[in-house]
Amino acid sequence: MAFILGTLLFVLLVGFIDSRLPWPRPKTERQR
Amino acid sequence: MIAGHFGFAAAVKARERQVPLWALMLATVWLDVVFVPLFVAKIETITPVPGTTGGYGTGIIYADYTHSLIGAIVISAIFGALFLPRWGRRSAFVLGAVVFSHWILDLIVHRTDMPLLPRNIGNLPRFGFGLWRIPAASATLELIFVLVGAYLYWRAARAVVLFKGSSMNRRADFAAISVLASGIAVLALDFFST
Repeated sequence: MAFILGTLLFVLLVGFIDSRLPWPRPKTERQR
Repeated sequence: MIAGHFGFAAAVKARERQVPLWALMLATVWLDVVFVPLFVAKIETITPVPGTTGGYGTGIIYADYTHSLIGAIVISAIFGALFLPRWGRRSAFVLGAVVFSHWILDLIVHRTDMPLLPRNIGNLPRFGFGLWRIPAASATLELIFVLVGAYLYWRAARAVVLFKGSSMNRRADFAAISVLASGIAVLALDFFST
């Protein structure tokens, strides 16, 4: 259980590093 | 299996570039996240295989709500729907499908403990191909997912920073290394758990 919750730290860390790249943003149908 | 799911998330990111990686990684382990409170409440349980300590791949997991086929489909649909208003139909569908991919990948490793219906109503047969019986094989499979996912992610990240300068290239490389390192770290922590 602690292991599963601990892996969420990796989600946050890697997610943050990934967010520094200029990926396209998700758009709703209205925004398109 | 967590590292294998993360590898799959990285591979999906390479194709569905508009979906943030954190959301894909969260989606791949969402069934396990929902499992946690049910485990604390003793609604879902893990029983060590006799003669083992319940470490990597040696648990019989009675996650009869979160890891039942129908339960997984419902949880996946709810998760995807949560992202629909902000990120649109395609991203919401991708996230829902990625949540459900957890059930498919778990099916490969679980020991015939995954039911079709919540609470295993009707005492139908349980499923699971049981690759966890050969821990080295399941860990190798997870490692392959991590390596392939990190490579595909790196290729996509390099493509997205093309012509944006060397500092962006370094940032893309660092992100891919983070994906790889986190996958390997999670696999090691899981594999050597007691």
